[in-house]
Formats: sequence, structure tokens, C-alpha cells
Amino acid sequence: MNYSFLSPLLLLLFPLLGAAQNATVSGTLRDGQNGETLIGATVQAPGLGKGNASNEYGFFSLTLPEGNDSVELRFAYIGYQTQTLKVVPRGSVKLDIQLMPVGSVLEEVVIKANALDEKRKSTEMSVSTISTREVKALPALFGETDIIKILQLKPGITPGSEGTTGLFVRGGNNDQNLIVLDEAVVYNANHLFGFFSTFNSDAVKDLKVYKGGFPAQYGGRLSSVIDVRMKEGNSKKLSGTGGIGLISSRLTLEGPIQKDKSSFIISGRRTYADIITEQINKANENTPDYNKIPRYFFYDLNTKVNFTLSPKDRLFLSGYFGRDVFTFKDPTFDFRFDWGNATGTARWNHVFGPTLFANTTFTFSDYRYKIQNELQGFSFSLGSNVKDANTKVDFYWQPNNSHTVRFGANVTYHDFITARLKAGSDDGRVRFESGRDYDGWEYGAYAADEWAFDRLKLSYGLRLSMWQNDPAFYANIEPRAAANYEVNKRLSFKASYARMNQYVHLLASSGLSLPTDIWYPTTEGVKPEISDQIAVGTSYLIGDQILVTWEAWYKWMQNSVDFKDGAELFGNNDLENELAIGRAYAYSPLELEIEKKEGRLTGWIGYTLAWVRKGDFPEIDNGAWFPPRHDTRHNLSVVALWDAHKWKKKGKDKSLQITATFVYTSGYPAWLPSGRASFTDFPGAQPQFVVPIYGPRNTFRYPAYTRTDLGIVYKWKRKNGLENDLTLSVYNATDRRNPYFITIAVETQPTPLGEVPFEIKARQVSLFPILPSLTWNFKF
Amino acid sequence: MKINILKEILPVLAITFLVSCNLTKDVEIDLPDYDRQPVVECYLEPGKPFRMLLTRSYAFFDTLGLSSNFIQNALLEGALVTITYNGQTDTLKNQLTIVTNPLKVYNYVGQNLVPGTPGTEFVLNIRLADGGEITGTTTMLSVVPIDSVVVEFNPELDTLARMLTYITDDQSEENFYRRLLNYSSLDSFPDQDFLVTDRFSQTALIAFGTGYELKEGDTVFNTIFHVTRDYYDFKESVDLAVVGNLNPFAQPSPIKSNVRGSANPVGIFAPLVYDRDTTIVMK
Repeated sequence: MNYSFLSPLLLLLFPLLGAAQNATVSGTLRDGQNGETLIGATVQAPGLGKGNASNEYGFFSLTLPEGNDSVELRFAYIGYQTQTLKVVPRGSVKLDIQLMPVGSVLEEVVIKANALDEKRKSTEMSVSTISTREVKALPALFGETDIIKILQLKPGITPGSEGTTGLFVRGGNNDQNLIVLDEAVVYNANHLFGFFSTFNSDAVKDLKVYKGGFPAQYGGRLSSVIDVRMKEGNSKKLSGTGGIGLISSRLTLEGPIQKDKSSFIISGRRTYADIITEQINKANENTPDYNKIPRYFFYDLNTKVNFTLSPKDRLFLSGYFGRDVFTFKDPTFDFRFDWGNATGTARWNHVFGPTLFANTTFTFSDYRYKIQNELQGFSFSLGSNVKDANTKVDFYWQPNNSHTVRFGANVTYHDFITARLKAGSDDGRVRFESGRDYDGWEYGAYAADEWAFDRLKLSYGLRLSMWQNDPAFYANIEPRAAANYEVNKRLSFKASYARMNQYVHLLASSGLSLPTDIWYPTTEGVKPEISDQIAVGTSYLIGDQILVTWEAWYKWMQNSVDFKDGAELFGNNDLENELAIGRAYAYSPLELEIEKKEGRLTGWIGYTLAWVRKGDFPEIDNGAWFPPRHDTRHNLSVVALWDAHKWKKKGKDKSLQITATFVYTSGYPAWLPSGRASFTDFPGAQPQFVVPIYGPRNTFRYPAYTRTDLGIVYKWKRKNGLENDLTLSVYNATDRRNPYFITIAVETQPTPLGEVPFEIKARQVSLFPILPSLTWNFKF
Repeated sequence: MKINILKEILPVLAITFLVSCNLTKDVEIDLPDYDRQPVVECYLEPGKPFRMLLTRSYAFFDTLGLSSNFIQNALLEGALVTITYNGQTDTLKNQLTIVTNPLKVYNYVGQNLVPGTPGTEFVLNIRLADGGEITGTTTMLSVVPIDSVVVEFNPELDTLARMLTYITDDQSEENFYRRLLNYSSLDSFPDQDFLVTDRFSQTALIAFGTGYELKEGDTVFNTIFHVTRDYYDFKESVDLAVVGNLNPFAQPSPIKSNVRGSANPVGIFAPLVYDRDTTIVMK
């Protein structure tokens, strides 16, 4: 192995060691009400023109010229009151800052922190953040707030089928998103076949998505990183939130274990349609020929505890467990289908000094599904499982205000069980078994520096990723680079390049996220998927409230995985024989976002004009290039949150918020038949007079998709501090019939030969009409 | 009058909601251009004459053939059809033939009977009236007999029974089966119709079962076809093509044919060997 590529990076980092003698102010930025750390909060010394931001653990470090005169520091975060204080810059100054939120219903929301300007000035591009405030206020399908569905409203991200949580980021597949919850990978972030995500918004603190320009600390997926962080728990007082909705109810409790030193949070969510269906079944148990309704429910449980072990050490333990359960049981049939994720994270933050911070993490991830059927001497089971155990250490070093260095390493053990099928008789006379086990080791090491000088900021780094799945071994270098040139106080130009490798692949037989989709490792035959993405863009700040961001990008992918025609996924020990390996590319000359995060009216407008193509698969249409299902030309989303009115009545603080989203998506490609044939079939089988003949893939385009959702949030706060809100969501408020799929319907008539067709029509099936829903939420 | 909300009002509300939602509608769409293809369906049943149905496919929305004489309009006539086996060649005559119980249609029929010796190789050659050519090959398989059929009544609901059908599989080679289960008559819509391979069978004994759905007096036609890999792939692809058009969760498939040639055909040339058991459910 030639490691000479590291030399230029080390040379670039070396001068940092010789930095001049300075004072350093460092510490942690927290929410003053609940003690949660604040990510991306700013610390500035306006008089010196110096500033910085807290990292993802709330840690900040600011270097100042040493002196005897006090310097004014300003700490700010969106939605919080700005705090200023003076320090004398001598040696190391440690400050733990607590900012008070300004979001209570009667207070005038005057937000001093200019998050949009920070975003404009950052080298980060192709990044979006979602706040839980937005998630909770925006209208949602069945009133079930969902952070992933809000993410779909961001430019560059195409949703899957209607109502589902699919994410196709900049032309990438749904499996090319690295979704991490407190740094543990979530392999299938879906409930109910993708209609709801696994993230309970009551337990989520922050979500950040990278669509390109990936920082070097991230690797393992081609198209996006979705970093979800759970709340840490209120370290000041016991508090709770909850809600009762159409689909599910939620309850979250959080509080200090030892005030300001340690805290916990526990959050649960469960659906209750099964309680109703079980009552219906019970009421009909004596009805002849009654068809019992199967039982279905899903639930999530999030827990987290954190301990401040010393001024320099903090320990976090968090876990997630969620399951979907579908059962049917009566004397003639006993069936169970369950699937879900479990994750666990142990994280230790250690501050080595005013400029060096380390995070050491152990994570565990498990996704599995199992289908079981047992009856009178025979049993059947089918299941898949992917498990990860990961260790990583990340260092954050800020030797001076010009450089922010990150370096670290990780190792992950993957364990796969692919489509394990067992069927047979209990006495062993009849037995079927199939499915294979795999494992693999994934290694990563990276170093990166963000270098700010004058108007130019550079971020550059390298990641070395390796995969071992005996006898296969792959090592890949992933360069990462980003630049921001600040033309003036309003305008910045940005550019980025990133290479990513993906060593695990989802074998999904449709565009939907099904629990039975199989994760499959890189092997000798299935090589790592590789993507390269370049992006350029500008950010322009209008006033201090509106940020306009334009980006253009081109992404090309190698070793893309698809299925051969008619692939068999189950009962197949040679899945690789069913795979086709090819290439893909996607590009957009125009990905536009106009954001407004402050004031009574907030929201964003996102628009993307993009093309996506896959091809060079020898077994698919002789290698022809075709548009995948997520190749939608125009994607427009408009999101608005309006704080309409605030008032006080009978001692209660009240407020009314009106929200709306509008979505337009060009029709997506579909594979529809072009011809039809007739077969009389074997004796005993029915003749099939209309067998569709499929030609090249995805030559048809569905009609465009348009949807308007509306929401009203009415909040009131009692004198005793109990906060309530009633949220009315109206999904598809215009009651538009959007195409979910188009089927070719054949009308038949009886003849001596059987039912022969006399009319063939195309029939569009829509999924959701106008769907109002009401949710009651509370907080104490 | 006491009204049970769960039993009476909720179902009415649900039905009213779904009907009023009106979530389907007919639409006009343009499908890709399509050139009609010859469709070959030729099964070699031991002891029966060589028989083949040769038709043409249609563009999907083609109104041609959408009538009561659907098959007659699709028939592809005037072809020269031969089948070669054991060093001899039989020519099939272009003649419409309808067989009943179960009902089948052929438009090319030979004079000789299909030999049932396992391992016999057959070569199909078709020269269409327009000069297009089609060829295919297949090999005769052995019948895999049904060893036993067992009817078991449910211990809790003794009015309902299930049926277990056992065969003994030759584990020295990979075998493919199609299972058909018809109630009342062979022309009825099959209650079970699926393909299976013995690839993962750990035992020579293979069982096919039903749910507890049979009642005393039911007549059950139980058929186990021994099929070739080509047929297995063909039938699977046909099923995927049908399901892919109806189910948004399914990935469609082009039809995997084992007939090829300049005429760009689709279809199948395969042996038709099976064992069938007819049982009347008794306590």
C-alpha cells in the first residue's frame, strides 16, 4: 500500500503546530432551560472581527490575541437570546455558556443570531438542517409528524412513492443514504412499508443532511449523510411532552438524574389501530364466514442518559428500539411478520485542552425481519438480518481561528444473514433451507482541515476506506475538498468535490422501501459502489433574513447495483447471479433554495432541475441507458410557517400558527408494457389471454404530482406552565387525484374458451384523497 | 333498537368513505411503439399428438382481437412447423383443434404421438409465411409420481381439513416443479398454482400442503408437473409480467422465452409431464 498521498496533507497541517502564543476561550454552549448542548451556535468577538461556531457536541474554541484589555464576546443561536460578556484574554479561559430560548408563546421573537449568514460564510455546501419546530408545525399525513418527510421538501431530494419516506438524493438510490441516529446506522428507517419513519420527533434534537461536499469524517454511502441526534434530556427539571394523534400516541419524559450533571430522556410511540381491529374481531367472533382482520401495530422506544463525569468528560448512552408487527392467528392459520431496528450508542466526550476535543463512540445497529408461520406439525420462517458493531474516535482540534482540524478512525464489523428460509415438518421428514451468512470489516481513517484566510475558506481532507470480506479486500482513497470565497458581506461563491465508497448494498425489488429488502455486502463479485460529485454554487443574503442559494452539481457513479430481469431474491443462495453491475450519472444546472428563518413568516422555497440516468448493465436492455424511477425533471417545494397571532386570555398565553406546503414534481418514469400475448397454459391452469410484454425499462412517464397541505397550530399555555396545542393537518387540501400507479385494466367477457378480453384501458390509481387529521400535543 | 357502533356504523362509514373517495379513474396514455411478435406455445405430452398453438402478440391497446373470436384473430397461420426427435422429423399440420376437459386450443397438430422416454431431445423448427424463422429445443422429463395424499381435519375446527401431498424427489439433480390444485373441476380457477425448485430441499421427501380450508365432500384435483429449467424461467417471468402490471410493489419482467430466431418470437417449447391425484375429502 502506498501511503504517499498522506504527505501533502501532513505538510499542510504541520504549520499549525507553530502557531503564535495566544489566549484561548473554550467551553460548551447549552440551552439555559433544559441544558441541551447547542450545535452550530456562534461565538464572536466583534471588536476583533473573530468568530467561530460550536461543533456537533456543543464544544467551541476561539483564539484571541493575548492582552490585558477585556474583550467582548457575543454568544448567539437562532431562537435564543444573544448573550454578551467580557473576558480578559490571558491563557486558557473556560466558559460554559447557557442561552435562554425566546420561543415561549407570548414573547416577541427577536432573534439576533444570523444563522443564514453563518451558512453563507461556511465552506459547507449542499447541506440542509431541519429543526423539530418545523417538523412539529408543518402539516403531515394523518397528522403524524415526520422529520424525514420534511427533508423530502428540500431541493435535491426526491421522495419515493407518495406518502412514503423514500429519499433519493441527487440522483442516488434510496440505499445510498447514511442515516445515523446518535452515530449508529439505521438500516431501515421506516414503519408501515415506508409510510412513516422511525424517528419520533419528540426525541429528536437536530437533523442535518449532507447532499454533497461530504466532510471527511463521513463515509460508507454514496449520496447523502443524514445525521440525526437525539435530545440529551433536560438536566434542569423533570419535564415531559406527548401527544395523541390519529395513528399513534407519544409520551416523552426527561429530567435530571443529578441537576446540571446528568440527565435522562425516555420516549415512546405506539400506533393503536390494532386495538380497534381487535375489538371488531371480538364483536364478530360468532359471525359465520366473518373474515378476521389481521393485527398490525408499530412502536418506537428511544432512551438516553448522559453524565458529566468531570469538567472535561461527558458520557452519553443512548438506544433505540422499534418494531412493526403484523400477525394473524386463528385455529386454521398462525402467521407473524415483524421487522425493525435496534441501535445503541455509548459516547465519551473528552476535552484535552482549550483547543482539542475528542469523541469516542461505540455503536451497535441491528435490522431484521422475520416471517413465521407455524401450524400443526409444519413451520415456515424467512428472515434477513444485518448487524453492525462500530468503534470510532474523532478528534476536533482548533489550534487557532484559522484552522479547524478533524482527524479520526473507525472500524465496523458487519454481520449479514440474507434471506434465511427454513420450512418443513416438525418430524424432520420434510425440510427446506436456504440463505447465506456473510460478514465484513469496514475501516476508515481521515484527516481534514478547514483553513480560513481573509475572504477565502478552504476545507480539504482525505479519507481512506477499506473493506475486507475474505478473500475480497478493497482499499480506496476518498479526497474531499470545499471552498468558500466571500465576495462581500452578502455574496459568497462555493465549490466542492467529494468521492465516496459504499460497501453494503440494498437489494430492493421495487422503488418502495419494503421490510424484506436485503442488505448485501461487497464481495469479490460485487465491487464497492463509487461516486464522485462536484458542485459549484453561490449564496446571497438579502437583508439579514433571506438567503438565496444556487448550486449546480454533477455526480457520476461506478459499480451501481441493479437487478437482472426477473431476478429471484428469495430461495436463492447465489444472489450475486441476480445482480447487474453498471454505472449511473446525475446532474443539475439549477438547485435553488430561498430560505427565511427569522420573523413571523419563515420557510423556504426549493427548486431542482435535474437529470438521472443508469446504464452499462450488460444484462439490462443490452447495456442501454435508461432513466431510473427517481428521475423527475422539476421538483418544486414551498414551505411556509406563519406566526399569525398571539394573545392573552384569562391568564392563558395563546398563539395561532398557520402552515402550508406545496409540492410539484414532474412525472416519474415507469416501466409499462408495450405489447400483450396470450397463453393457454397447462391443463388445469386458466388461459392467460393478456400477458403483458415489457420492452425497454422506464420509457413511460407518469403525470406530474402536485399537492398542497395546510396546517393550523393553536397553542395555549396555562399559568401552571402546562403547554398544549391542537394541530389540524389537512393533507392534500385540494383533494387532487395524484397518480400512485397506472395499471392496465382488462375487461373480459365469457366465451367457451374462457374469459377473453373485449376492452383494455389504462387506469390510474390514487392513494390519498384530502385527509384532515387532528393531533393534541402537550408539554409540561 | 341497540346499534353496535363497531359492527354496524364503522363498516358503513368506511365503505362510504372509500366509494366517495373515488381513487381510481381511467386515463389516456401513450405506450411505447411495439412490433407484433409470433407467440409459440408448444407442450410435449407423452402419448398425445404433437400440438402447438402459434399466435401473434398485439400492441397493448390494439383493438384487434378484442372480441369473442379472440383466439381466431390471433392465430398465425401458414407456417411450416417440424419437430425432430430420435432422428426423425414430424411435420405439424396447420389445423385448428379444440380439446375439451380441460379446454385447450391448437392450430398445428402432428400425426405421431409424443414419445415419453426421459432424456429424449426435441428440436422445433418453424418457418413463418413471411420467411421468419423460429427454433427451440427441449428434453423429455420423467414423471415424478405423487407418493401419497393425506387429509387431516383440524383438531379445533373438525369441519375443516387440509391436504398434504408428498412426492419423492431425485436429489442427484436439480428439479423444478409446478403445483396446481383445482377444486371441483380442472376448468376451475386453481386454488394453488406455483413453481418450486428442489434446490434447497434437505430431504428427498417434498410436501405440498393446503390450509385448513377443505370441507367434507370437496373434490380436489392435485397435479404435480415436472418441468424444465426453461419452463420454470418462462413461467416465472410470465407471472412477474402479470403481477408487475397490477402491483406497484412488484418489479415487472420481460418474458424469458426458450424459442429464438429471426422472427423475434416469444414463447415456450417444453415437455408436459405430470402426475395427478383426484381425492374426495372424507372424514
